[in-house]
Amino acid sequence: MRTSTRKRYRNIIESDLEIMPLMNLFVAMIPMLLISAVFLNVTVINMKAPPDSADANESNNKRENLALAITIKDNYFVVEGRKIQKSVIARSDADAEVQLAAALANVVATHPDNQDVMIISQPDTQYGDIVAVMDVSRESGLPSVSLLGVE
Amino acid sequence: MVGKRNRRIKIRSVHTPLRLTSMMDILTVLLLFLLKSFVVEGEVMTPIPGVDLPESTSDTTPRAAVVIAIFDDSVMMDGDVVASVSAAVASPDLLIESLAARLDEARVKAEEIARYRGGEEVFEGKVSIQGDRDINFAILQRVMFTCTVSGYEDISLAVIGTS
Repeated sequence: MRTSTRKRYRNIIESDLEIMPLMNLFVAMIPMLLISAVFLNVTVINMKAPPDSADANESNNKRENLALAITIKDNYFVVEGRKIQKSVIARSDADAEVQLAAALANVVATHPDNQDVMIISQPDTQYGDIVAVMDVSRESGLPSVSLLGVE
Repeated sequence: MVGKRNRRIKIRSVHTPLRLTSMMDILTVLLLFLLKSFVVEGEVMTPIPGVDLPESTSDTTPRAAVVIAIFDDSVMMDGDVVASVSAAVASPDLLIESLAARLDEARVKAEEIARYRGGEEVFEGKVSIQGDRDINFAILQRVMFTCTVSGYEDISLAVIGTS
């Protein structure tokens, strides 16, 4: 009896699991997926272009109410508009953005139906700074932003 | 004693098959994770290498659009350099001629394709601007003006979303 079971076990062919084809699949798929994987979350800010003379009249009619503008100068931000007290915020302050947000929130509180703001930049204003100001205005309740330049 | 020291110990080569089980575990998990993120989001807009996008709290997902990249001294459209930043900024004219020509070409092609598709698709002038955070407003203003004049009025600025 014992010898017969031993014989049966010896007849069983041992074979390793064939992993190589599966490895081929991984070697092909993983680099492709890694390359197309989203590690940086690219988002967008939708814009209105700086108006040229033809469009300026039309959009000015709508903005005639408040004409809220944030001017970015080298050393300070200026928030001004019709019926709005002009405020000047020094950019060198550590909490300049907080002050700017507070000024804008004030404007939104007193004029809740206005959603437009114009950001007036100098030719050498950095793009990163403009995006930061756009962020502050969006978060203060002014989602509709236009970019203008000083001629 | 002497005999024992003289006896050479033969080392028999032992054949051990390569154990791939743990590597398979890693690869399986990695593959499943990447498949999951690929299926959910896909890749609509690839950041162009060389452009250091500014960060923003915006969370609007990008849509497929013509891509204009502005970094260092070049303005690139869909992978080709079309203008130089310094030349464009030096000119008092807001229009960048070479970029306008390329945009006009692209617009004509897109309108023809829309016409072939029998009016189901309308030409949407969508353009996405990927600008390095250090560029000046002067070149951005000129690029945006050129896009509007060439019929691409739906402009979005690409940024890195931070929560």
